[in-house]
Amino acid sequence: MSHTVVAELVANVQKVTAKAGDTVGPEDTLVILESMKMEIPVLAEVAGTITELKVVEGEVVRDGDPIAVIEEN
Amino acid sequence: MTTAPAKPAKLPRELDPRNPFTRLTNLLDPGSLELITPDDLSGMLAVRGTIAGAPVVAFCSDATVMGGAMGDEGCEVVCTAYEVARREELPIIGLWHSGGARLAEGVLSLHAVGKIFYAMTQASGKIPQISVVLGPAAGGAAYGPALTDVVILGPEGRIFVTGPDVVRSVTGEDVDMLRLGGPEPHGRRSGVVHITTDSEAAAIEQARRLADLFANQGEVSGDVSDSDLSGLLPESAKRAYDVHPLVGGVLDEGSGVELHQRWAPNIVTTLGRLGGRTVGVIANNPLRLGGCLDALSAEKASRFVRMCDAFGVPMVVLVDVPGYLPGVGQEWDGVVRRGAKLLHAFAESVVPRVTLVTRKTYGGAYIAMNARSLGATRVFAWPRAEVAVMGAVAAIRILHRRKLAEVAPELRTQVEAELAAEHETIAGGIERAREIGVVDEVVEPAKTRSALAAAIATAEQHGRVRGRHGNIPL
Repeated sequence: MSHTVVAELVANVQKVTAKAGDTVGPEDTLVILESMKMEIPVLAEVAGTITELKVVEGEVVRDGDPIAVIEEN
Repeated sequence: MTTAPAKPAKLPRELDPRNPFTRLTNLLDPGSLELITPDDLSGMLAVRGTIAGAPVVAFCSDATVMGGAMGDEGCEVVCTAYEVARREELPIIGLWHSGGARLAEGVLSLHAVGKIFYAMTQASGKIPQISVVLGPAAGGAAYGPALTDVVILGPEGRIFVTGPDVVRSVTGEDVDMLRLGGPEPHGRRSGVVHITTDSEAAAIEQARRLADLFANQGEVSGDVSDSDLSGLLPESAKRAYDVHPLVGGVLDEGSGVELHQRWAPNIVTTLGRLGGRTVGVIANNPLRLGGCLDALSAEKASRFVRMCDAFGVPMVVLVDVPGYLPGVGQEWDGVVRRGAKLLHAFAESVVPRVTLVTRKTYGGAYIAMNARSLGATRVFAWPRAEVAVMGAVAAIRILHRRKLAEVAPELRTQVEAELAAEHETIAGGIERAREIGVVDEVVEPAKTRSALAAAIATAEQHGRVRGRHGNIPL
């Protein structure tokens, strides 16, 4: 089953720390967002393999925008 | 309001694991169970007994009879349980496994279910009410638990207004029980459920722990051990971190029971013990949404605060908050209306409520996290904490907009840093906060536990108080 991780708030993509093909666990950080003067990690939420990483550094994401798609183990 | 749960192979009632007598025996201390109502086929059973030595009242749906459907007789059993619990001022625990009102009894059963709701609401805020949902709980059996203080969901628990069959026939939507009302939707999305567990035994165990925390509230011991909590914050002020280890570090080891763990996770609400005394901890969690308050987290915390206040449980508020989350989504979601609930909840509370600012507290969220102005019993801050309207750089960009516009672009970062440092000393520094009395005391992370405990003990030295209000499921 594929799981889409979405942004929970409007933010800048400060750093992308994972890439398509990576195997991740629920607590692993995919990207770090910057908003409200805080660095906010976006976690994988599920265990699996990243099939798509949909953001690039410097981009602005909005609440609900997809960040990554993970094929669950 | 009704649905028929799937029927397993028929076992004799006494061997059926859904037998209410068996379930209630598992809930109570061994040998303590006494029947309040006869163990018959009414559909409900009410008993009294003890949990960790404290007397409680409990009732359980009888899922061996018509899937636990609630008729006039069964509802009367629950109302009797409530009468006893109210009269003796005891916590009441309901174990639910019921398809809802008995269809065959028609409106009579709806009338009877309504009387349970009335009894629950009249008891709200007066005696702790804990619900454990162990099987399907539909219609009336869904709203029963929803009216109580804490709802625990076992792995087979399903809560919904109407089951999948009715949903399909009425709206055409095709959905199963798990997706409609299982642990995932209620643990993460709806906020209906406070605790989800992997087994029925674990669900019962959590109910026992909560009953113990409410009924045996204990006293702050004279000698509260300290441990250095400073390592639980990251070096960088911007870095996110999980606040759970800090909550665990403030509480007595292993004593915490977190409510609504996965719903609105940017605020953490945990009951536990500090120096042996039951307390409620409310903590911003910077790992989620940067720890911002938003509409949902404000509502979650408000309900928790009001519950603690109603049952005389002092509060410890751990603050590291960048503000209320701004934006269209939040405004349309009612962040002002729901955020106001948190202001109301804290300002109304009469129990001791002690605040600790660990790293920063800004803006409206500064007030909402139990600030001095809302009547905090005592406000502590760690030495490097910042109390301000907003972060220093953001503030000087507004205050010195014209001046900064005239600065050459290559010098702007440096000038901003200088202005920010100057601004911090006059507006955001902890010394300034002490001068104007919004922070009472700067405390070292290594002495925090004993300081928080002492503040609660001092506030309670002339007796304990509790709020006189219900605990509406906000």
